[in-house]
Amino acid sequence: MTVLPSSPVDARAGAEGTRIDLDDVCRYFEVGDTVVKALDGVNLHVDESAFVVVLGASGSGKTTLLNLVGALDAPTSGTIRLAGTDLSTASRAQRTRIRRNTVSFIFQSFNLFPGLTALENVRFGADVAGRADAADVAARVLEQVGLAGRAEHFAHQLSGGEQQRVAIARALATGNPILLADEPTGELDFRTGVAILQLLREQAEAGKTVLVVTHNREISRVADRVIELSSGHLVADGPPAGGRAAIDDLRW
Amino acid sequence: MVTSRGLWVRWSWRDLRGRWVLVTAISLVIALGAGTYAALLSTSAWRRASNDASFALLNTHDVRVRLSQGSTVAEGRLAAVVASIPSAASVLGVRERLVVPTQVSAPHDLLVPGELVGTATGTDAGVDDVWPSAGRLPGPADDGQPVVVLDRQFASANRLPATGEVVMSGGARASYVGLGQQPEYFLSSGGQAALPFLSQRSFAVVYATLATAQALTGAAGQVNDVVLTLRPVDRRDPAQRPVSQELLADQVAAELRSALAGAKPAVSAVVSTRGELPSYRVLYDDIAGDAKLWRIVALLVLAGAAFAALNLTARIVEAQRREIGIGMALGVRPAVLAVRPMLFGTQVALFGVLLGVAVGWLVAIPLKAVLVEMLPLPVWVTPFQVDVYLQASALGFCLPLVAVAWPVWRAVRVQPVEAIRVGHLAARGGGLAPLLRRLPSRGRSYRQIPLRNVLRTPRRTLLTVLGIAAAITTLVTTIGFLDTFNATLDDAQHELLRSAPERLNVSLTAVEPADGDVVRAVRALPETDTVTAGLMLPVTAGRQDRTVDLLVEVLDDAALWTPTIESGTAHGGIVLASKAAADLHVTVGDTIEVTHPQASPEGLQTARTVMTVAGIHPNPMRAFAYLDPATATAFGMSGATNYLTVTPASGTSATQVQRALLSIPAVASAQAVRTTTEGMRTGLDEFIGILQIAALVTLLLALLIAVNTTSIGMDERARDHATMLAFGLPARTIIGLAIAETALVGAAATVVGIAGGYGVLVWMAATTIPAVLPEIGVVATLSTTTVLAAFALGVVTVAAAPLFNIRRLSRMDIPSTLRVME
Ligand SMILES: Nc1ncnc2c1ncn2[C@@H]1O[C@H](COP(=O)(O)OP(=O)(O)OP(=O)(O)O)[C@@H](O)[C@H]1O
Ligand SMILES: [Mg+2]
Repeated sequence: MTVLPSSPVDARAGAEGTRIDLDDVCRYFEVGDTVVKALDGVNLHVDESAFVVVLGASGSGKTTLLNLVGALDAPTSGTIRLAGTDLSTASRAQRTRIRRNTVSFIFQSFNLFPGLTALENVRFGADVAGRADAADVAARVLEQVGLAGRAEHFAHQLSGGEQQRVAIARALATGNPILLADEPTGELDFRTGVAILQLLREQAEAGKTVLVVTHNREISRVADRVIELSSGHLVADGPPAGGRAAIDDLRW
Repeated sequence: MVTSRGLWVRWSWRDLRGRWVLVTAISLVIALGAGTYAALLSTSAWRRASNDASFALLNTHDVRVRLSQGSTVAEGRLAAVVASIPSAASVLGVRERLVVPTQVSAPHDLLVPGELVGTATGTDAGVDDVWPSAGRLPGPADDGQPVVVLDRQFASANRLPATGEVVMSGGARASYVGLGQQPEYFLSSGGQAALPFLSQRSFAVVYATLATAQALTGAAGQVNDVVLTLRPVDRRDPAQRPVSQELLADQVAAELRSALAGAKPAVSAVVSTRGELPSYRVLYDDIAGDAKLWRIVALLVLAGAAFAALNLTARIVEAQRREIGIGMALGVRPAVLAVRPMLFGTQVALFGVLLGVAVGWLVAIPLKAVLVEMLPLPVWVTPFQVDVYLQASALGFCLPLVAVAWPVWRAVRVQPVEAIRVGHLAARGGGLAPLLRRLPSRGRSYRQIPLRNVLRTPRRTLLTVLGIAAAITTLVTTIGFLDTFNATLDDAQHELLRSAPERLNVSLTAVEPADGDVVRAVRALPETDTVTAGLMLPVTAGRQDRTVDLLVEVLDDAALWTPTIESGTAHGGIVLASKAAADLHVTVGDTIEVTHPQASPEGLQTARTVMTVAGIHPNPMRAFAYLDPATATAFGMSGATNYLTVTPASGTSATQVQRALLSIPAVASAQAVRTTTEGMRTGLDEFIGILQIAALVTLLLALLIAVNTTSIGMDERARDHATMLAFGLPARTIIGLAIAETALVGAAATVVGIAGGYGVLVWMAATTIPAVLPEIGVVATLSTTTVLAAFALGVVTVAAAPLFNIRRLSRMDIPSTLRVME
C-alpha cells in the first residue's frame, strides 16, 4: 500500500489571485425540444485559498459548474470572474491564458495522453504552464502521488486509480493557483483516497483554491466550505455540518 | 427481430450521417478510382470501334505493292501482275497509284516536305479512298487538271483554309478544293521520303487523281504503287482454304512477290499487307498497348482508393471497438456485431459507385476530346461502355466491403475485456514508441507527441502511409511517363544535334551520281555552304527469327555529323542503335542478315547481305543505323547518292535554304535536323494528352486522400486535443503538433510513393512501353521537378491539411468532446 510522502507545496501557489466569482450563472442545454437546465441561477463567491467541496447527486450540474469555472465552457447567461478576469468578455487568447496559468483540471475520466508515459503526462502539465524546472517538478509530483515506480508506464498499463493519480499529478505540476478536481477519489481505495485528499488540502493551505467535486459526503467534512447542488440550483453553502474534521478522522 | 434489424440499419445510418464529410470523401476516392478506371478502359472500345468504322469506310487496301524508291513502271503493268496471280479471283478492287515525295509550299508561307498521292479512278470497288472533311473531292472533270485535296491534319495543324493553292517540287502549282484523309495517312508516317519523324504539321500529303499526279510530276503514264482489296472470306464455305482475311492477304502477297520477281524485267518492290500499314498497325496495336498502360494507371488509382477505404473503415471500426466489446460482453453473436460496420461499408460502397458513374462520365469528356484531337479519324464512335462500367462498379463496390470485413474480423476476435478497456486499441503495447524511451528527452514533453503517435500505432501508421503512398505512386508513375518520353526525345535530339546542328537533310527523288548534275546544282546554290552526298536506304535487319526495320545512312569520313559510338567502332560493319541491338539480341562483333535494295544492271532488286555489327550508338530511335562506304558497297551504289546533308551559308536561314532547294526538281524534301527532332515530339502528343488527364485525376485523388487521412487523424486526436486545450495549450501549438505528425507520415508516404512510382515506371519501361512503342528505346526517368512536385504534394499538402482544422479546433466544445470521446 502506498504511503504518500509529505509534500512540499509549490512556492508559486497563492502568488496570484485565486478568487472565483459566479453571478447568476445559468447553463442550459437544448436537446431537440427539451431544455436541460444543468445550472440555473447559481451565485458563488470563493475567497482566495480555500478548500471547497461541491456536493450533489448525479446529474445535478457539478461537472458543468467545474467546466464553466475552468473556462472550458461558457454560461448561457450570468457572469463568471476568475482571479478578477471576466470570462464572458475575455478573448479566446485570454481564456487560453487563463487555462494555462490560472486553473488546472483533474478530469472525471482522467484523459491521459495515451502516447505519453506517466511521467511525460505529468511533465506535460509543467511544460504547458511554462515552468523552467519542468523535469524536476514532474518527477517530484509523480513521487508525491506515489507513482515514482510507474514513471515509464503508459496509461493503458495503469489501473484506474493509478491513472487518476497521474491525472492529479499532471494538474499539480502546472503549479496553477486554482485546482479543479472532478471526483478525484472516485476510483481510489480509502487509504490512497485519503492521501490524495491530504495532498489537495495541503495545496489549499499553501494558498491555492481547490474545488473538489464529489458524491461523497464524508469528504466534505475536511472542507473549508461545502456547496451543494441539486438540479442545477445551489441549495446549500457554508462550512461543513459539525465543523471541519481532521483528515485522519475520515471513514468511508 | 424486425425491430432489432431496424435498429442496426438506423444505427449505421446515424454513423453515416455523423461522418458524412468523411463518407463523401471516401466515396469520392472510390468514385475517382472506379470512374477513371471505366473511362480509361472505355477508350479501347471507342478506338477499336472508330478504327473499324474508319478503315472500312475508306476501303482500306488488303495488299499493297510499292516499287523501290525512284523507280516507276508503265501504267497498267502492276494491275496486270495482280491479274496474273493464282488468287486473282479473290481480288475485289485494284488501284494503281503514283506516290511521289515532294516539297509543298502552302499558304501562310509554309514550306514542308510531303507526298503527292495520285490514285487511279475507276468504276470498280474503291481502294484507299479519300474522305473529304471539308470542300470537295476532284471530280471527273478535274482529271489531269491541277486540282487536288490537301491532307486534313496538315491543314488543321497549320490552320490552313479549306481551299487554296499549293506549289510542289519543281514549281508545280495546284489548287486544292478540299481537305481530306486517306487510311495510310490517318497517322502521318513521314511517307516514303526517307526522312523519319515528320509530324503532321510539317508533312503535307496532297491527294490527286492519277492523271493529275502524273501531270504535276511530269511522269506521264507512269505508276509506282498498286493497292488492292480482297473479297470478304466466307467462313461458312469449307472450300475457302484460307479461313481468315489475314491469311488470304498473306497468300495474295506471297503470290505477288513471286510474280514480281518472275517478271521480265524483274520489278524490285515491297509487298505489304494491311497489317503492315504503319497507320493501321499503330492505330490498332496502340489500343492493346495503351490499354495495358491505362489499366495499370487505373489499377493504381483503384489501389490508392482501396487503401484509403481500408484506412477509413478500419478507423471507424476501431472507434466502435469498445461498443463491439460491450456487445460481446452482452452475448451478441459476432456475425450480428459485424452488421453495423458492414452496413456502413455498404452505404459507402453504394455512394462511391453512384458517384463513380458520374466521375467516369466527367473524365470521359476530356478523354474523348484528346482522342478526337490526336487521332483524327473520319468516324468517331464513343458509345457508353456498359460492361466496363459494370466491371468498374463491381470493383468499386467490393473494395470498401473487403476493407470493412478485415477490421471487423479482427475486432470480433479479441477478448471482450480487451475491447472494452479504455484506450486499449489506441495504445496497444505502445507500438514502437518504447524504442524512443532511450532517447534523451530534450525540450517540452508534448513536442514528442507527434513522433510518439506515429510510432505508437505502427499498423495504423502503415495503412495511412500506404494509402497516401499509393496516390503518390500513381502520380509519380503517370508523370514519370511524361518525363521518360521527354528524356528519350531529349537524348535523341542531343545525339542528332551533337555537331552541325544547323544542317538540313535533303532527300532526292531518285538515286543520282554523287558528282552528277543534281549535286552540283545544290552545291552551286549561294544559300548552301557545305554539301555532302550520302545514301539513306530502308533495310530490314534480321537475326534468327527476329527482325527490325532500319533506316541506314551511309557516312563517309567527310560527313558533317557522325553518331556517338558507345561501343565498337564506326568502321567495318553496321552501327546499330542500342535498342535495335538489344531487340536483335546482338552485340558488337556479331553478324546480322540485312535485307536491302541493291542496284544492278537490271534495276533495283532486293538482296541479302550478312554484316558485322561494328558499333552501337546511343540514339533511342531504333531505326537509325549507319554504314561506312566500304560496307555499303553491298548496295551496289558506290558513287551514287539519294540523300544530301547541307549546311546553310552564313547568314542564310533554314527556310531560305529550303526554298532554294525547292527550285531543283530532283529534290524531294529538305528538313532541318532541328525540325526532325520536333517532329518526334509531336508523335507522342496523344500519350501525353491522356497522361495529363490521368495525372490530373491522380493529383485530385492524392489531394483527397491526403486531406481525408489527415482529417481522420484529427478526429482521432480530438480527445487529446481537447485535453491540451483544457490545459491552456494554444490552438496554434496543437495545430503545429498535428502538422508535425502529418508531416512525418507524409514524408514516409512520399518516400515510399516515389520509390513505388519509380519501380512501376522501371517495370513499365521494361515491359509495356517496348510493346507499345517498339521503335523507341526508353529508359525510365524521373525529372527533378516530378520528384519535387511529389514531395510537395506528399509532405507539404499532407502537412498543411491540419490547417483546415484551425477554426474547428479553436471553437471546439471541450466538455462535450471530452465526454463523448470516452
Ligand atoms: N452537452 C450536454 N447536452 C445536454 N445535456 C447535458 C450536456 N452536458 C450536461 N448535460 C446535462 O446536464 C446535467 C448536469 O450534468 P453534469 O455533467 O454537470 O452532472 P454531474 O453533476 O457532473 O453528474 P455526475 O455526478 O454523474 O458526473 C445532466 O442532466 C446532463 O444530462
Ligand atoms: Mg460529473
